[in-house]
Amino acid sequence: MPAKGENLDALGAAASKWFEQLDDRGVFITDDRLIVRRWNPWLAAQTGLRSSDMIGRPLFELFPDLVERGLAASYHDALAGEVRVLSQRFHKYLLPITRSFHGAGITEMAQSARIEPLTDDETVVGTITLIEDVTERVISERELRTQIAASEEARRVAEEASRLKDEFLATLSHEIRTPLNAVIGWTRILQTQPSVRSRAHALEVIERNAMSQMRLVEDLLDMARIISGKLRLKVDTLSLVDVAQAAVDVVAPGATAKKVAIETAFADDVPPVSGDSERLQQVIWNLLSNALKFTDSGGRIRIEVTADGANVRLSIRDNGQGIPTEFIPYVFDRFRQADASASRRHGGLGLGLSLVRQIVELHGGRVAVESEGMGKGSTFRVSLPAMADADLRPIYPVVVEPVTLHGVAVLIVDDETDARELLVAMLENFGATVRAIGSAAEALALLRSGEWEPDVLVSDMGMADTDGFALIRSIRALDSPKIRTVPAIAVTAYANPEDRVRALVAGYQNHIPKPVDANALAAAIARLVTA
Amino acid sequence: MQLTALQQDALVELLNIGFGRAAASLSQLTGHRVLLEVPQVTLQAVDEVGEALERVVQGHVASVHQIFTGRVSGDALLILDEAGAAMLKELLTNEPALPLAIDASAREVITEIGNILLNACLGTFGNLLKVQVSFSVPHLSIEHVGAILESLKIAHEEIRYALVVHAGFRLRDTQVTGYMVIVLSVASLDRLIHAVEDWEQSQS
Repeated sequence: MPAKGENLDALGAAASKWFEQLDDRGVFITDDRLIVRRWNPWLAAQTGLRSSDMIGRPLFELFPDLVERGLAASYHDALAGEVRVLSQRFHKYLLPITRSFHGAGITEMAQSARIEPLTDDETVVGTITLIEDVTERVISERELRTQIAASEEARRVAEEASRLKDEFLATLSHEIRTPLNAVIGWTRILQTQPSVRSRAHALEVIERNAMSQMRLVEDLLDMARIISGKLRLKVDTLSLVDVAQAAVDVVAPGATAKKVAIETAFADDVPPVSGDSERLQQVIWNLLSNALKFTDSGGRIRIEVTADGANVRLSIRDNGQGIPTEFIPYVFDRFRQADASASRRHGGLGLGLSLVRQIVELHGGRVAVESEGMGKGSTFRVSLPAMADADLRPIYPVVVEPVTLHGVAVLIVDDETDARELLVAMLENFGATVRAIGSAAEALALLRSGEWEPDVLVSDMGMADTDGFALIRSIRALDSPKIRTVPAIAVTAYANPEDRVRALVAGYQNHIPKPVDANALAAAIARLVTA
Repeated sequence: MQLTALQQDALVELLNIGFGRAAASLSQLTGHRVLLEVPQVTLQAVDEVGEALERVVQGHVASVHQIFTGRVSGDALLILDEAGAAMLKELLTNEPALPLAIDASAREVITEIGNILLNACLGTFGNLLKVQVSFSVPHLSIEHVGAILESLKIAHEEIRYALVVHAGFRLRDTQVTGYMVIVLSVASLDRLIHAVEDWEQSQS
């Protein structure tokens, strides 16, 4: 009995032409015994199998792999009148066709296919199979998926950064409030129970806390300067040993109080380095206080400075609580603390070590940390490039000479009562004759009247109505030569180098940042009146 | 028109036999054990199907639509909400799903699954009625659930009914529910129900 599909060979001329011209996908037709009857040119080109070799041969004999992959069932479904769609994802391909795709590691053409019954007068006479090459689509979907994964990773990193900032802000408010608590608490006690016995202690606590808050603010400002690229180094040729010794001297009292021993081992032949002595001292001081913070009573800290070819190395080792291995990569990250829980045993902002790295890197050096884990202590290492054949400038200890301002007339202008009174008290302590005024207008009126002539003017910058910049410009334009040239010092909470320059340009001789150090202010006044 | 409890039970039983075969071929295809079950079949006037479906699926849905012709004729749809479609695709192919609108491979997979299920369901009816049913090529669309059913109503003037089949997929401890809607003319439905009753009697 001839197959019902025999008459498939006699496709109409128009249909035959369409079939031959379909060049963007594969089409083949079988009869109802699944013998190939048509094989379009696209398939011939892609598979290298010519139509004349295919026609008349059983499909499953030509492609036994269709049976192995369970696809024979789909052909039998089609012969039963059902349409079968075969997705690329499930089947990869219908017919194995080699296709190398540039750089994508693909050797097989990705295909989607459709198998339909071929009907003649409601009778199924064969099957028709359409094959689409979707290789490019599969590659672009794969790329899209990779991109989405990458952008999700980027979002995760950004969220983590934002979480760290939130955590930092919470820590910051806690750290700022803690010393304030002590200051306000003890101040109230002094006000209500001015007993002599607790007075010295109260003042000591207040000062310690105020200093700790000042350091906090300075760390923040330093970090802000580093982030905005405004940290400038005052570079000199110096000995890291001297700097280390100075830092040890600062930390020593705290270590003694906590019963932690500090050993120093400084080599004799250490070459000088090029750097900012204050900043490097800050680095070593930060590392030492960090070690001290995490070392329990009875522990020890060892600081070494050695020469190593082109570098000078400093190491600070403690036998304290150590660092969890998983936290080591983040030790120098900004805002990171190993223990961010509310019940942290140790205070601090998590800025110190980040500043250490930033400053060391600004010096062209490197910083590293090692720890064998919790309870096993840690070692911080700093290495800085050594300078060859340089003259060493010794670091002189700062000698504070006793200053006196006896007979010096000082005019203070500050619109904040507390700040004004503090300045008055400070300067009267040094023997100065002080007049204090609460606004620039009143100060100008007094100077114009000629009723009292100060030797020095000390003025706040940020005042309501007329500020310190306008005040000095008005003074410098007055008629009286003595008043017009009165030496002036700007006192301001704006502590940036730019603010200093602005004050000097406006007409001040000096600029002292708040909080004001009484000795520094007195010394500055003394210099101005003797100059 | 309403189904009696007996007719409902018989339909559920019949469809579960057909879906057992569909589950077997999905399991083979994916290499995972896929379980398919039909817990419920309801009959509704086409006008009311939208309301009933909107109670269980919301927003945009993926639907695979096939028209069938022969002695019984009508429309068959598999409807999955977008989350269900994405989850099904992900579970079956081990690949994170992209939004269906930009993932042609995922659309193909959903189309193939719909094709298998709709053919299993209609093949069951065809066998029962001892008629051959012919199918159109499955077509996938992603649109609001209301819009899909609206287009079904517009295409025909005659009163038509819909069998709404709840289909539960279970694979890798996850459950995804899809809904099959088989829209039939009154005459086709009549023939089907009679055949179901005959089958039911031949069983007892």
